Amino acid sequence: MKIMIVDDSAAMRMIVKKTLRQAGFEGHEISEAEDGVKALAAIESSSPDLVLSDWNMPRMTGIELLERLAAAGLRFIFGFITTEATLEQRTRATTAGASFLISKPFTPETFKAALAPHIH
Amino acid sequence: MSAGGTASLPAVGAVLPASLPQFAHIRRYWDPLHDSFAAKLLPGEYYVTIAAELICTVLGSCVSACVRDAELGIGGMNHFMLPLDSCRGERGWGAATSAATRYGNVAMERLIGDVLAAGARLEHLEFKLVGGGKVLAALTDVGHANIQFVRAYLKERGLAVVGEDLGDVYPRKVHFYPASGRVRVKKLLSTRTGTIYAREHNYLREVNGALPEVSAAGNRGVAP
Repeated sequence: MKIMIVDDSAAMRMIVKKTLRQAGFEGHEISEAEDGVKALAAIESSSPDLVLSDWNMPRMTGIELLERLAAAGLRFIFGFITTEATLEQRTRATTAGASFLISKPFTPETFKAALAPHIH
Repeated sequence: MSAGGTASLPAVGAVLPASLPQFAHIRRYWDPLHDSFAAKLLPGEYYVTIAAELICTVLGSCVSACVRDAELGIGGMNHFMLPLDSCRGERGWGAATSAATRYGNVAMERLIGDVLAAGARLEHLEFKLVGGGKVLAALTDVGHANIQFVRAYLKERGLAVVGEDLGDVYPRKVHFYPASGRVRVKKLLSTRTGTIYAREHNYLREVNGALPEVSAAGNRGVAP
């Protein structure tokens, strides 16, 4: 399975990778992007199976990324990892096609619960 | 500290340990009072070491994060002036990359990145936080904003904070020993803060481009 982690914090991308391992999701091909613009370009060329994205990022936010991808009709699992998760954000995310929203700080258990239905 | 209060010299044959290549510009010296080689940080700088040396700096409203791998003793410290929001939302990665570590988010990313690159493990990292005093009475409470930023940054990432000496109205002198994790903080008296006041004021001025320049002598005793 191809997994892409989108976050402007390199430290957070490392933590997400580590947490994926700790949650037992190993042996996947993991790529990274540091904002929505770079993710969009990478997704179009590499077509990942799962995208884990931050919400707030410079240049293009996570939700803008998802809405662009949805408009382009791209199909894959998209989940947010974000600090603030207001009802409005959750609604917008779900409407745009997000499969789940993980709040920071998270644990390997949070990852298992959110990802298990999607990763095999 | 050496016995009898006499200043020590480095042991015969002891030489300044090599720094990691990206930190060649950091000022390092033998500190006879603490019987150790030392690296001194100015605002906006950060430093990571794998050697047995101390890292020191003087903080007003700035915050330093001291981080170490608790098993390997590899660690480092930063010294940032402003949280990311003062950067008009651009998060400091824009044109002024060379000066970007004045911003907390960049300073934290670089520090963590370089500590991991030096061999530390993410899951072994421990942080101690120092600074963020309200030392510039006339300005908004930058210290408080820095404290809120760094706590939120580490909490979001699930990184462990094992000690804090934050806030209040004092400037602080900090010594951090990455090998042992020990942090010594000396709260400075207000009459001695003229230099720090001037440094911070002029640093803010450089960042914001608005405040008039002040000298250390002209403000001795004025800062809170």
